[in-house]
Amino acid sequence: MRNPLAVFFACLSCFISLVLPTLAQDIDPYERAIVAATERVAPSLVRIETLGGLDKVGAVLIGTGPTTGMAVGKNGLIISSAFNFAQKPAQILVYLNDGSRHPAKLIATDHNQKLVLLKIETTTELPVPEAAPMKEVKVGQTVIALGRAFDADKPNLSAGIVSAVGRIWGKAVQTDAKISPNNYGGPLIDLQGRVVGILTPLSPQAAGDDAGVEWYDSGIGFAVPLTAINRVLPRLEKGEDLYSGLLGISLKKGDVYVEPATLGAIATNSPASKAEWKVGDTIIKINDIPIARQNQLKHAMGPLFAGDTVHVTLKRGSGIIESDVPLVSKITAYQHPFLGIIPAREPEGQKSSGLGLHGIYPNSPAAKAGLRLSDRIIGAGDKLIADRADLQEHLHTLAPNQELVLKIQRDGKTETVTLKLAKLPEALAPDLPPRDVFPGPTEGEKPATGLVTIKIPEVKNECVVFVPETYQANMPHGLVIWLPAPGMVKDADLEKTWKELAVTHGLLVVMPKSADPTKWEKSELEFITKAANDVIGKYNIDRARIATIGQDGGGNMAWLLAFQQRDLVRGVAAINALVPTGTKPPATDPLRRLYVLQASPVKGPAAIKFNELTKTLRELFYPVLAIDLGEAPRGLNEAEFGQLARWVDSLDAL
Amino acid sequence: MLNTKRFAAILFTLLFLASSASAQSVPAVVRAAQAKQVKLYGAGGFQGLEAYQSGFLISDEGHILTVYSYVLDSNYITATLDDGSKYEAKLLGADPKLEVAVLKIDLKGNPVSFYDLSKAVTGTAGQRVLAHSNLYGVAVGDEPVSVQRGVISSVSNLEARRGVYDTMYNGPVYVLDAMTNNPGAAGGALTNWRGELLGMLGKELRNSRNNLWLNYAFPIAQLNDAIERIKAGKAPPVGNDLAAPKLKNPLTLKALGIVLVPNVLERTPPFIDEVRPNTPAAKAGLKPDDLVLFVDDQLVQSCQAFTKLLERIELDTPIKIIVMRENNRQQELLEVPLQVAPAP
Repeated sequence: MRNPLAVFFACLSCFISLVLPTLAQDIDPYERAIVAATERVAPSLVRIETLGGLDKVGAVLIGTGPTTGMAVGKNGLIISSAFNFAQKPAQILVYLNDGSRHPAKLIATDHNQKLVLLKIETTTELPVPEAAPMKEVKVGQTVIALGRAFDADKPNLSAGIVSAVGRIWGKAVQTDAKISPNNYGGPLIDLQGRVVGILTPLSPQAAGDDAGVEWYDSGIGFAVPLTAINRVLPRLEKGEDLYSGLLGISLKKGDVYVEPATLGAIATNSPASKAEWKVGDTIIKINDIPIARQNQLKHAMGPLFAGDTVHVTLKRGSGIIESDVPLVSKITAYQHPFLGIIPAREPEGQKSSGLGLHGIYPNSPAAKAGLRLSDRIIGAGDKLIADRADLQEHLHTLAPNQELVLKIQRDGKTETVTLKLAKLPEALAPDLPPRDVFPGPTEGEKPATGLVTIKIPEVKNECVVFVPETYQANMPHGLVIWLPAPGMVKDADLEKTWKELAVTHGLLVVMPKSADPTKWEKSELEFITKAANDVIGKYNIDRARIATIGQDGGGNMAWLLAFQQRDLVRGVAAINALVPTGTKPPATDPLRRLYVLQASPVKGPAAIKFNELTKTLRELFYPVLAIDLGEAPRGLNEAEFGQLARWVDSLDAL
Repeated sequence: MLNTKRFAAILFTLLFLASSASAQSVPAVVRAAQAKQVKLYGAGGFQGLEAYQSGFLISDEGHILTVYSYVLDSNYITATLDDGSKYEAKLLGADPKLEVAVLKIDLKGNPVSFYDLSKAVTGTAGQRVLAHSNLYGVAVGDEPVSVQRGVISSVSNLEARRGVYDTMYNGPVYVLDAMTNNPGAAGGALTNWRGELLGMLGKELRNSRNNLWLNYAFPIAQLNDAIERIKAGKAPPVGNDLAAPKLKNPLTLKALGIVLVPNVLERTPPFIDEVRPNTPAAKAGLKPDDLVLFVDDQLVQSCQAFTKLLERIELDTPIKIIVMRENNRQQELLEVPLQVAPAP
């Protein structure tokens, strides 16, 4: 073009066409990008209405409002958040972008990533959006969260950035866009209109249906990568429910952020036992991801499903073992064996060789084999026994009905006893010899006894612990984490109920109080744990005899505490309290034994749910002791509190 | 003939004009908006009720727009302007349905900056917005009010269905993705990133269907009529359906010939248990086990909701219901017109 004027007008027209629309529409490039990206994905967004179902899931009142889903298969496949279906609706209706309504069926649930797959019958193909490759998702990039909870014909949106990737044990992208039931089930998209992931509530600690909802609109929200969903979509489409992949191992106790992933126990019939792994082996690599500490193993395993095969590198002594292990969804529950003894409780520094006996259960394997209180156990199988921990460790590798050869010292001679292990008793311990009393330390400060106030920094909750007059700093004591029914929390009652029992059974009783006197919040579990650990730090507590006992709302908390703090709690007693809906009892763990005591009605209509729970727990191989409260829920009488205390006193039985 | 120098100069000027037209810095926009904002103090201060809220000037004569709340239920309302000057404010009037109120202060000729409501703009989903309010009463005296940023999440009717929100307003609102509707924030201004007025922040509101707190603002266009009426000293229009009178002769399940399954749970889905012979339902071909999903395009999620909805329909009004029927394990939606024959 020779003519400069023509060049000018050409330029000008270009220029005007570029600038004017911006001015006219009153919209800046950022907004334009958000709107354009949203429009690209909107046709794939569906609105979901449900009918019927439960009113409440856990402590959360479930709304009946519309929720969101996204097309993932042209043939009518729609993915959504499992939260939207936690109430188990009787009927599901899907509204497509064109306004058409379709009955939908829930065909599979992904319990690992908290998603569900729905299917509708449709003759028109659904538009399936493009997935953003995870390697292109960068922390700090702009993302948009979409839902269809307000309008059926327009998506609602919230803009933010990617806050982190690989969250929730490697499963999710974190964003600061506002994530709530208004967009759970909807996509998190990038500015190019590609789907990063599907929004769903998740929690790094809890696994229930409502876990993570408490973070709604807080600036902490999660999306499961669409690439990870697509990987398992064929399995979901076949109607297969998906679960986390399990190896069947328990790691050695200790700080998960410090200790290496050394095996402490291996479940029978599990992938680990089939691969012939041994206690003491250390996992150092999972699918080429190096594992130096226990938490890294959890991260590497998080995104894996039952049915996946993993390549595991183990260190055994100075050797290296490589194995390909198929993961499973369920491990045959571990049942703890029972020998029938209560190990001696001896002050530190006064122990002689081997393990002494404080009590022997009548009719137990130990009694049948003729064990005596004066015997000392010095060996089990081919293992030397110096103390309780040694014997525990050996018993973890065994199951009821297996044979055990004990080496004992009797009258200065060494003898061998063969016995057949039993199941843990589901009846109260018989009257055992009275508590051993040893001379207390003569020097040093006498710790505070009576009602002692505990202050936990940074929380407003109050807490008090009852320490009996007879407390001896050189003797290990039992600890009760006492959670009375909300509204019944009085210091005077704590002392009245527990004073004599604490002396008789060598117990301390800590009573953490809810911030709101009328109810507990799930989030206060952390405070309860801190309060218990504070007592453990200040007093001599036997870690084998720590029980949480709760009534009504306090009992709900006791269940949650016992299921979450498995390194802390050895016994849980619930008085008229069920496990909160949405919380599932975890599998039994060889290294973290948990005894259950249920005090509740066993007859009449009130008993149905309590009896169901007892059955469920027994099927999971938890030992359950029952205290019968008749036909209607009521508080415990003095004799029943006495039984509770005796139960706590026998938690260290082996 | 244009030479290249002149051409470059013209192009440069055009570029400059274009960029200056849209680019006003965000701090400058915020500062200009804060200057129009008013901190209001009145009744409250006990039982967790805050004695303060937000408002903004809408005229140079001292008119202030805010929400109608218990805070204004006081003989003495104080308005603190951006410069810290204090005025006694008079309640000119309020619209109980919109919960909007106009106050007046005597400026005694002092110049103020204010929003010209005739220049208010409308927003769409995805637009970036700024919310200016005295949330939690953080700002006092001549401290400027707080500003929050977010985007418009959606422009939706506050009440798509009855009973969702505890409010009488059922028109459109800007739903926001920022935590704007906090104690004291009601009456604050919502602007775009150019400082143009979009709406007024409403009171705290919880969505009773999903128990979530909602962050929202009323579009100015929805408030204009009420504001004009209040400024002109006119009473709010009568006859708004605050409490719809009970119908004398409402539609019933019995009249239709439908017997639902026993209502055992709060959420029992409305399955038909029985269809009485020779009734509108029987003639229309409804069958036992049909699940009623919609009545006149409104979703009914339970037996209870179905019965309640009928109470608001006159006996002989024709209605259209949509049921789901299962045939050979296939679910299909059927549209069924129903009408009770008018009395002769």
